[in-house]
Amino acid sequence: MTATPSTTALLVMVHGSPRPVANEDMFRVVDDLRARPDAQARFPIVEVGFMECNEPTIPEAIDRCVRSGATRVVAVPYFLHTGTHVCDDLPTLLEEAQARHPDVEFLLGDYIGLSPRLTDLLAARAHAAAR
Amino acid sequence: MDALILFSHGSVLCGAGEAVDAHAERLRARGDFARVEVGYLNYSEPRFLDAVATVAQAGATRVVVAPYFLVAGYFVQVDLPRCLAEARERYPDIEFVVADALRRDAGLADALLDAAQRARPAEHWRDPLARATASCGARPECPLYATPACPRVPSPPLDGRVPATVNAE
Repeated sequence: MTATPSTTALLVMVHGSPRPVANEDMFRVVDDLRARPDAQARFPIVEVGFMECNEPTIPEAIDRCVRSGATRVVAVPYFLHTGTHVCDDLPTLLEEAQARHPDVEFLLGDYIGLSPRLTDLLAARAHAAAR
Repeated sequence: MDALILFSHGSVLCGAGEAVDAHAERLRARGDFARVEVGYLNYSEPRFLDAVATVAQAGATRVVVAPYFLVAGYFVQVDLPRCLAEARERYPDIEFVVADALRRDAGLADALLDAAQRARPAEHWRDPLARATASCGARPECPLYATPACPRVPSPPLDGRVPATVNAE
């Protein structure tokens, strides 16, 4: 056991798009999250990494987290569905990152589609349309 | 009677609907809409127009369509209006209203923090794959079909024999 305090980074793993405008809403969501005291307390570091099309790539974003002093990286797929990216590609990228950074603890959260918070948002969207 | 249809893209992967199905189930439990269905654009069943038929038969007079999409891109801006035009033609007495895609909302940051709460070490990173195979439909178009991960159709044996259990369901 060491006395080194742990610093946890949140890594938002995003699909990416050939139309960069498609990422604007996601960037705003992440900016909103960075501004929240409850998020800052848990995640002093927040980085976005893309699977395809856009930069930084997920490995680049992970390296940024480590350079910023992260001792633990919590990765969350910004995906709505199970698919081959969620099932296989993202775990593989994390396994490669773990091999590159053996002293960093890597954890993988649920993809956001599994969160009941999105049920709340769907209900809010539906009610706003029905008014 | 108000019905809600979650408009979703659909996937060739068996089990890809686990998240949207869970949202639909929670929305049914909330009871705000008399019927809640999922309707897919591609690949998965039921397709959007079949979901409309279901709620129409149940007596819906108004259908709220909520896109289960992060981005209001081509599928939401082009494909959904095309599907809706057909639905309106088939059911002229039903009112259809369309909700905004998920896009930007504090709820998405909530979902990120909530999903991070269930962060797990490496031995669980492929749990979604295990859950996907649990709903295996033995569909040849599934990317897991006849791979070692496929529980119902064995991958071709090393001697190259075609497995006897292969069938196009």
